[in-house]
Amino acid sequence: MNSKDKILVIGAGIAGMEASLLLANAGRSVLLVEKLSLTGGNTIKNEDSFPNLECSTCMIAPIQQDILQNPNIEVMTLSTVKKVEGEAGNFNVTIDKKARYVSLVDCIGCGMCYEPCPVTLKNEWEENLSEKKAIYVPCEGSLPNVPAIDPEHCLQLNGKKSCNACVEACMFGAIDLSEKDEEVQVDVGAVIVATGFDMFDAGKISNLGYGKFPGVYTSMEFERLFASNGPTSGELVLRGGGESPRSIAIIHCVGRKELGYCSGVCCMDSFKYSHFLKNKLPDAKVYNIYSDICLPNKTYQIFYNKIKGEGGGFIFQSSPEDIEIKESSGKLGVNLTDRNGAAESLDVDMVILACAIVPGKESENLAESLGIELDGKGFFLTRKEDVGTVETSKAGIFVVGCAEGPKDIQNSVIQAEAAVGKAILIGEINGK
Amino acid sequence: MESKKTSSKIGVYICECGPNIADNIDIDTIIARLPSLEEYQNKELVVKRYKLLCSNEGKEFLENEIRENEFTHLVVAACSPRDHDTTFINVCKKTQLNPYLYKMVNIREQCAWIIPDKEKATEKAIRYIRAATSRVLKQSELIEKQLDIDPGVLVIGGGISGIETALSLAGKERKVYLVEKSSELGGKMNMFKELLPRQNGNRDIIEKKIEEVKKNESITIFLETELESAVGFLGNFEISLKNIKNNQPGAEFTVGAIVAATGFRLTDTGKLAQYKYSKESEVYTSLEIENMIKRDGKIVLKSGKEPESVGLIHCVGREEKGYCSQICCNYMLKFISFLQQQSDSIKIKDFYRDMCLPHKEDQGFFEEVKNKGADFIRISDVKIKGTHVEYTPIGKDKKEVDVDMVILAPAMEPEKGTEELAELFNVPLSETNFFQEEHQQLNPVETSIEGIFIVGACHGPAGISESMLQAQAASGKISTRLIPGKKIVPEVKVSEIMEDFCMGCRTCMDICSYGAITFDGELSVCVVNEAICRGCGNCAGSCPSGAIRAKHFTSAQIYQEIIEAIR
Repeated sequence: MNSKDKILVIGAGIAGMEASLLLANAGRSVLLVEKLSLTGGNTIKNEDSFPNLECSTCMIAPIQQDILQNPNIEVMTLSTVKKVEGEAGNFNVTIDKKARYVSLVDCIGCGMCYEPCPVTLKNEWEENLSEKKAIYVPCEGSLPNVPAIDPEHCLQLNGKKSCNACVEACMFGAIDLSEKDEEVQVDVGAVIVATGFDMFDAGKISNLGYGKFPGVYTSMEFERLFASNGPTSGELVLRGGGESPRSIAIIHCVGRKELGYCSGVCCMDSFKYSHFLKNKLPDAKVYNIYSDICLPNKTYQIFYNKIKGEGGGFIFQSSPEDIEIKESSGKLGVNLTDRNGAAESLDVDMVILACAIVPGKESENLAESLGIELDGKGFFLTRKEDVGTVETSKAGIFVVGCAEGPKDIQNSVIQAEAAVGKAILIGEINGK
Repeated sequence: MESKKTSSKIGVYICECGPNIADNIDIDTIIARLPSLEEYQNKELVVKRYKLLCSNEGKEFLENEIRENEFTHLVVAACSPRDHDTTFINVCKKTQLNPYLYKMVNIREQCAWIIPDKEKATEKAIRYIRAATSRVLKQSELIEKQLDIDPGVLVIGGGISGIETALSLAGKERKVYLVEKSSELGGKMNMFKELLPRQNGNRDIIEKKIEEVKKNESITIFLETELESAVGFLGNFEISLKNIKNNQPGAEFTVGAIVAATGFRLTDTGKLAQYKYSKESEVYTSLEIENMIKRDGKIVLKSGKEPESVGLIHCVGREEKGYCSQICCNYMLKFISFLQQQSDSIKIKDFYRDMCLPHKEDQGFFEEVKNKGADFIRISDVKIKGTHVEYTPIGKDKKEVDVDMVILAPAMEPEKGTEELAELFNVPLSETNFFQEEHQQLNPVETSIEGIFIVGACHGPAGISESMLQAQAASGKISTRLIPGKKIVPEVKVSEIMEDFCMGCRTCMDICSYGAITFDGELSVCVVNEAICRGCGNCAGSCPSGAIRAKHFTSAQIYQEIIEAIR
């Protein structure tokens, strides 16, 4: 196959994986570039996904496996796109491919290398709620199930000390500390940008006490705390204390006012947390503090009604950013204004901040490399002249999923499929 | 059908997985004991170990072993099939050993890694290998079939979703048949003039698309036509149309896929006591306002005068319907913006419960409209008597106000005929009566019948942008699945019904989610259409007379496996 028939997909989250698989199954060759050491994106951080509360791993793992085994897909992990030149049907792409130091072919994922590693680090993927070694997989069940080495902290690689512990522990000769970062050049016909999102930094709203009070969690921290493959194996215990919370306040719309948009998914995530909490801690009191309930799918209100039926308080707040959280004698006081404008305070053990979806940190650089525009909020912009499109201002480059704006899994997959329909027309004749 | 070969020769290959299996399981014991087990006394059994079967050398070794020994069956005892089932299937394919005569056993995750006692781990591994070896002997060859496809597509509904689908798919090698029940294309779009600011405000793009559809030589348009019948499966649906006007049979043709884009209607506000109004009053539904803007270029009262005050009521019928229609908040803002441009002194009272603004541009639009002076009142209850509005602001006492005009945002519901179409296709509707996706997240524009797609407002409340993206998504799926000139390979692990045992009770027909089973009235038995069946096995489990066999998961195979594992 002509190299120009190859399609570059950036980001191995749900949208990028869906696009890659569809294209590969149609016989197209796909290069899937992912900045982390594992596939799955943010979806696999969820224990269950709304509204059907289907186990996310069970839903996504077969797709991850298909991606890794499909002969038409080349997965390049720890890699970022640095430069893109050319035009639709004929792009030349420069990729920054970081060394993994562990062979994807020879490693069988037995994990014997972790224990001997003398370096312990915070695990960012787990929202710093757990630790990892300098040779690590981000979580159990990572795919590919092959560790990577953090060159900044590995003693041998950062030159602080001579250490060969992992190499000696590996019985398959899969670790090669002499591996170098590479710059890879590839010719492709089309590019699908599926770089996903980051979460709003809750520390920016100081009155919510995030980072100050250990009982205040972000939504992503709670997702991991609840996850059976997470830092506590799914046990809901508070940071530090090791006790389960007896009362929890979930604050919606964190960052909405600052950012100027609604993320469209946080209400459903918050109700999901409500349900999780009620299920695992039946005696706990759960409050949802909301301003607008946003349920943009035919099935979401059914889910909301079910959650309401499970009990718990629903408290309306015109502006959640005005809420003040204070701590006294180990309890968190959530100070709000009730419907009639009177001050009210809730005593809780745990606060979950439903943070907004924000553009991925690398969006700006990537937009520049690709020669496409961002909107005023930092998400990728689709063609202005069109209504409902995944095309960007540059022909042959498409943007899908949360890279384009906040959205749920369904709409991310829809955009991925839409981009496939467009990308497949480039380079190869497909009935046109 | 069991394997016909009279003399079986089974290869059992045990992977050491480096020390992962070898250290915790006594592989030599397995090699020594397996052939002496009673059940293999008369079978030719080759049992060998290898250091790492998934390595390139391992795969080559296995390939040579299969060829040299002329194995009829193969068992690989190694890691989880999730890691390497495909690896060994590919080895089989290279050697002409039918991959359905191979079985993988997980002695790493399920034995070596979880049982600290080596002897016990070895014992369990023996049982597992024995189970697999006995099962594989009961397995049968399955042969993949290749089917020709028709790349053509039938699109039902000439609204914006149908138009977008047709345009995305039509080409030299792919014909599209666009069926519309009314006498013109455009659907609800024909009632619109103004779009949202994020949709560029005007309908030029839509107008252009309608023109393109008409000009496209690969698109055949049938107006005043509906679908009479659709029989078949992905790649091959036989279509019959019906002319609505004269109720005569219409065209007949074959397509590879069908896209339903049948749209929505507004819920009947007359049925909701709190919003009852007469045609003479100054109360309008959202679509009436859209139409008014298109017809008159402005929003006016029946007298032709511009209103001085307008009350807008969101979520009409939402509670009754059980879902949010997700676009109403946005179009209400559009109306307010239009009214603000029409008159500087316009008094707006917007009665809403929750502002649903799920698109990144929506909140900016809301704030813009609000800053121009519209009064947004969050309510817990509202009722109208003509243009007299009684409402309860959230947390406050009941109030009332008289306005010149009231605009209602009634819930969207599936267009008339959706239920009948679902029945014709044999696809399910969701709880909310819209079409149901095959999988809400992972396969959102396809139905449970492969090759039948749902896009636009028949899929669920959707605006223009969402509908067009769904149309493109269905096109994306179709163009990767139905490639002109290429064949498709249907699932081979399908169900089969043994006619002699079938009582014709049709339990299986109710169970099957894919519409793969039909009833043969003449023989009074059920029949599986192998091209539609996806091999889920539900029918086999439900059959009261045990007449259904799920290929590769037959009772005999599973029974053999269980009995050897536990005895």
